[in-house]
Amino acid sequence: MQERKPKNIFIQGPIASSFIADSIQKHSSKTDIGGHSIFLGQVRADTIGEKKVSSIEYTTYEEMAIEKMYTIREDIFAKYPLTCMHVYHSLGKIAAGEICLFVFTSSAHRKAAIDACEETVERLKAELPIWGKEMFEDETYTWKENK
Amino acid sequence: MEINVIIFGKLIDITGSAAITINNVADTEQLNEQLHNRYPALTGYPYLIAVEKEIIQGNTPLKNKDTVALLPPYAGG
Repeated sequence: MQERKPKNIFIQGPIASSFIADSIQKHSSKTDIGGHSIFLGQVRADTIGEKKVSSIEYTTYEEMAIEKMYTIREDIFAKYPLTCMHVYHSLGKIAAGEICLFVFTSSAHRKAAIDACEETVERLKAELPIWGKEMFEDETYTWKENK
Repeated sequence: MEINVIIFGKLIDITGSAAITINNVADTEQLNEQLHNRYPALTGYPYLIAVEKEIIQGNTPLKNKDTVALLPPYAGG
């Protein structure tokens, strides 16, 4: 098995749809892949009280998050027959409607890619030290908390 | 004995700073005590403690120059 090193998963600003398209395109040379699974997280304009969220400002404890993501990646590769996995998370201010999370798994057959993608999303939401400040249109804010 | 404390998310609103230094504490219990004395509002908030990037459970001894992180509930994804 190839050795995997901890990778930086963070992107400053939103994840562009062209970045996602390029990422898909890059896999056309890997002809042992039969299925991809993609999860995209989008900033939702929640209404809290009377106010509407206009953006989320993401921060992280980067060194710890990268180490933790490495552990999750190793666990997922040990559990599912994946060809590859890519994870990107935004930092900084991401407007409602923009993409802030991109998880991309590939395998020979669909089930491994789908299950691995779901488990990776669940684990990173629970285990990565990332925080989100939900900014309202009037410049006030509240801190988001994963459920 | 000097401990570097790094603070994240909502907890920065309480401490007013993302990094502080705490002196003369031997373990995480003493560290928490000093933090709560300095920032009484911290007492009411849930957070995990990581020593050198490892989340700890229960009281843990500290070494000089350790980095301790205060981690409020996560919100990634």
